Amino acid sequence: MLYLYALSEPPTTAPDVPGLDDTKLDVERAGEIDAVVSVLDRTRVEPSEKAILDHARVVDRLAESNDAVLPARFGRGFADAAALRAAVAERAADLERALDLVRGCAEVSLRALAPGGGAGTPAGSGRDYMRARLGEQRRTQRLAGELHEPLAAIARTATKSVGTGSELVFSAAYLVPREAIDDFNAQVARLGGDHPDVTLACTGPWPPYSFATVEPGSG
Amino acid sequence: MNEHLPAAQQDVTLLELVDRVLNKGVVLTGDITLAVADVDLVYVGLRVLLASVATLEEAEPGAR
Amino acid sequence: MTRQDDEKLLYAAGDLHALAAELDRVGTAFPRRINADPEHVERGLAQLVLTLVELLRQLMERQALRRMESGTLTDEEVERLGETFMKLEQRMEELKRQFELEDRDLNLNLGPLGDLL
Repeated sequence: MLYLYALSEPPTTAPDVPGLDDTKLDVERAGEIDAVVSVLDRTRVEPSEKAILDHARVVDRLAESNDAVLPARFGRGFADAAALRAAVAERAADLERALDLVRGCAEVSLRALAPGGGAGTPAGSGRDYMRARLGEQRRTQRLAGELHEPLAAIARTATKSVGTGSELVFSAAYLVPREAIDDFNAQVARLGGDHPDVTLACTGPWPPYSFATVEPGSG
Repeated sequence: MNEHLPAAQQDVTLLELVDRVLNKGVVLTGDITLAVADVDLVYVGLRVLLASVATLEEAEPGAR
Repeated sequence: MTRQDDEKLLYAAGDLHALAAELDRVGTAFPRRINADPEHVERGLAQLVLTLVELLRQLMERQALRRMESGTLTDEEVERLGETFMKLEQRMEELKRQFELEDRDLNLNLGPLGDLL
């Protein structure tokens, strides 16, 4: 099996680390796009912690020394190089668009947890319940907006989801140009200061996993 | 190796990493799923359901 | 774990234990397996059914709240809906206890569609 770690814009500097099962990494050219792969001597891969970390290490190192990288999801492979080339060719336009989008950027993640969010069901009438839920939802959305807007302004693009019925208020991924990451961090710290009661975790810089997804059939 | 970060912080970064590697990233048509995933069958069916619900929600007046 | 982890935390404040627990609960980590072991088929089925019920409940609740906000529900309808959701929640808790299912068991990880719940 030809196991895929990521796609990259040529010329690609292959990372100096081994792939899964200690295999050697290769760079296969597929049209105008490079694919970082290794040959696995098996047909199934368990998502064990080790395998996941091995995959992540390859993608991470690749993104360190290459400007436009699309991480591949874990556990995907091809029968051979021809199959890989065919798959890439089929989505070449989308992939090149995605590479264009992520070039020079890294992904930064933000998760926020509000205190007392998702508190237990209030005992009371149906109306009380609905009011409480509505209040909760409004507070959640307002907080999410306050956190998201200043950060989205710095990022090239962003994903965002607001919690429903759970404590996780807010979860977002930002595609940030590398030169703006310090500014981004400063903004996160500022927001943390503005909301001392909110639990915040900002992680990154990650390779652009959340922005690499290319929907099948998209124009 | 990881005495630098307290356990909770290690947990968060590991969860973030695993989330990305398993759930995000490019998926090409024509590839083969090598990873073992029992839920694939259910996933395929529910995918259709959720896609249509999402479209429905977008069409609602006042929807975000 | 790799040395990368140290470098990946850019900012953190507050109760990270709770955040880690919540991330785990919404299934960002290893995909939940539906238990198809023949000896535990009943529990596996319960897991699947309750997950779907919980999904529908949240979707319906969200829609109800939207209509409540836009004022297109009568007071009586609000009361009835609220009671229904509360009762459903209660019943879910009972069933979860009965089948020894946690919140995290009711979270199907659907890959590109993100988490259901």
